[in-house]
Amino acid sequence: MGEMSSEGSQLSAGIDLSQFYQVFFEEAGENLDRMEKLLLDLDIESADDEEMNAIFRCAHSIKGGAATFGFKDVAELTHQMETLLDKLRRHELVPTSAMVDVLLQSGDALRAQLARHQNGDGAELDTTELLFNIRAMSAGEAPVIAAPAAAPASAARAPVAASVLAEPAPAKPGARVLELRVGPMDNPEEANNVVDLFKEITDLGTIEPLDNGMPADGMRRFKVCTTSTDSDLLDLLTFHVAREQVALLPLGDGYGFHHGAPGAPEAEQADPGYGFFEDAPGSPTDASAPASSTEVATLSDAPKTAPKAAAPKAEKPAAALEASTLRVSVEKVDQLINLVGELVITQAMLAQNSQGMDPALYQQLAAGLADLDRNTRDLQESVMSIRMIPMSMVFSRFPRMLRDLASKLGKKVDFVTVGEATELDKGLVEKITDPLTHLVRNSCDHGIESPADRVAKGKPETGTITLSASHQGGSIVIEVRDDGRGLSRDKLLKKARERGIHAPDSMSDQEVWSLIFAPGFSTADVVTDVSGRGVGMDVVKKNITALGGTVDIDSAEGYGMRVSVRLPLTLAIMDGMSIGVGEEVYILPLSSVVESFQVQPDMVKTIGGSGRVVEVRDEYMPVLEMERVFNVPRFDFEHVSGIMVVVEAEGGRIALLVDELLGQQQVVVKNLEANYRKVNDVSGATIMGDGRVALILDVGSLVRRSRH
Amino acid sequence: MQSILAVDDSASMRQMVAFTLKSAGYNVVEAVDGQDAYEKSNGRDFDLVLTDQNMPRMDGISLTKKLRDNPKFKTTPILILTTESSDQMKQAGRSAGATGWLVKPFDPAKLIEVIKKVVK
Repeated sequence: MGEMSSEGSQLSAGIDLSQFYQVFFEEAGENLDRMEKLLLDLDIESADDEEMNAIFRCAHSIKGGAATFGFKDVAELTHQMETLLDKLRRHELVPTSAMVDVLLQSGDALRAQLARHQNGDGAELDTTELLFNIRAMSAGEAPVIAAPAAAPASAARAPVAASVLAEPAPAKPGARVLELRVGPMDNPEEANNVVDLFKEITDLGTIEPLDNGMPADGMRRFKVCTTSTDSDLLDLLTFHVAREQVALLPLGDGYGFHHGAPGAPEAEQADPGYGFFEDAPGSPTDASAPASSTEVATLSDAPKTAPKAAAPKAEKPAAALEASTLRVSVEKVDQLINLVGELVITQAMLAQNSQGMDPALYQQLAAGLADLDRNTRDLQESVMSIRMIPMSMVFSRFPRMLRDLASKLGKKVDFVTVGEATELDKGLVEKITDPLTHLVRNSCDHGIESPADRVAKGKPETGTITLSASHQGGSIVIEVRDDGRGLSRDKLLKKARERGIHAPDSMSDQEVWSLIFAPGFSTADVVTDVSGRGVGMDVVKKNITALGGTVDIDSAEGYGMRVSVRLPLTLAIMDGMSIGVGEEVYILPLSSVVESFQVQPDMVKTIGGSGRVVEVRDEYMPVLEMERVFNVPRFDFEHVSGIMVVVEAEGGRIALLVDELLGQQQVVVKNLEANYRKVNDVSGATIMGDGRVALILDVGSLVRRSRH
Repeated sequence: MQSILAVDDSASMRQMVAFTLKSAGYNVVEAVDGQDAYEKSNGRDFDLVLTDQNMPRMDGISLTKKLRDNPKFKTTPILILTTESSDQMKQAGRSAGATGWLVKPFDPAKLIEVIKKVVK
């Protein structure tokens, strides 16, 4: 009888409620996000009424849906949170940091519960302790970490109250159905004692909770079916609860009408619990004249102006947002982008094929093609922007993470974000989150000093970590800055030498900071489980490079550190340099190209019998002959590749030997792996204007190849 | 066909109520809060207003008062949805001029049962 699950289809009036579940889950998720943000932003010393109301509404809203759709565990937890929040918003309780913590934890628990309902799997969450703590706080007590021995019994009893039902037996003749109200009580769960009464005494009748086991205003309500008289019942009940806390009433139906209220129905029978209304305005028996309507004309105008002026600005966007956004599945958007990509390719082919056309002869066609070119470009830009989402989506997880992390490490950290509205392609957002998380944790863990250390250095006790995003050129630049201890040049050099890395004193600061990206490099004496283990700066750099981006570090010892990540705005379109090898065309990511030059045979030297290097300004660079790498067939045996293109990736530079440089253009990146399979040294493909396929080269892979 | 104004800041509740009422043959206009509801009441007639209590910008009680101030809605049935049937809530509803209340959670069957009592 306990958990009445609603997971199966639930028909009421022929309506299956499960069709609304998905919207509820999404909405609950949004409410939880909002609640978390509000809680984190809450200033305990001067909590604003509107803020407290907003937090209350988040919990209240989730509770309403959860109760309606039958997610009892969620309803129970949110109900308890609501009780606490209600007292807070009414100023019956003063907000404390411990309350915020408990509410944040509850938010986490709710997410887990909702995920379980949504995915249909996972173990049931034990929220006993959490519920106990919230209840304690609502009652004005401090929470205890380990619930004392006596408490679990009652704490456990309340959530289980719904299951402690005497089976509702069919009403016996002469049985009456009543509502039993108990309270107001400080510990409403004590009311469950009365349930035991019905179990202990046979023939007393049946009892079941009307309020899902959740007290309201300290009151508990039960439905009682009994043949006993009121006074007999009351005598028994007072064994468990005080007389003045018990009330027996005729049972309401979960709704009712106000006596004499406008529009209320006439009483159907003498059964109270329904309204009755003689002479109520609007009821058929109403003899009185309707209220004067002299101000009809002016009143109908007034609402237009007054409410609009009064509406607080902050709230208005919420309702406006309701109306003007659309939920669309990611697959649909990706499909749309794919189709537009195809369109761009086709349009490019048309443009290419019409180059030789005499514009005078084919005036209209030429004009049409010019229009098509422009429209396609606009369409592409527009469609790409659909996938752009603001960086705030990435930033949003950090306040909570930092709060927990800083508290765990005993540090004080302020978190500042700049440029939250800067937009980034959704695909990139998903991939940048992990590296950024590592960088932020790094700053908190290794960068920011303990409050005592900071004060000793004359710094403010609270450190600051700043996360910023901005558009620069065709890229997005994301920076993680902290005002902590910065990097120690000496320490880094020492560590590098210990690992056998060539690190002369003549290295520039930039080069020393870049040592951090070497695999396995960590100067932390103790690898904390927070940011050290297994995930190093080398992985961060690799992930970012894989996205076509770059990472740079700047630091001033004692003052702080800054890590700058530069990423292309989107993965689907790339600026490329096309190179020719034999009859083939390959594309190099423009961001990886350093320089190119014509090569003379004497510039290339052979080393160790197989490796070839080229001398560039006193530096020797490995050479990769593209003809050999890709086995490009040669039909002109006298031809010798004459151009070197220097590319850089993964901290290394190599020179690619090619036949010619064909140009620079934006290319639409097509995924090779999805259409064919993974190919070494190739990261994707594109279709050129003449319809031929050009492979996009994976520069990192080529650099690695050159290393052995 | 009769028209019902359903007001709730929760999209899932609005959907459930709207679907239920439409299936029962009513025309439904949805609003996301009291403010939105009041604006939508301009130039329209409703046979019933069903409103949640806790909403941003303008709550159910305030909406009820505002509607009652408008002669057009003086006698329109207004039901307030609450999550507890505490006497305090009922009192506030009554003072604001509400016709009655409906306790959440309710299921579609209960909703129809109540609606039928106030919408002729």
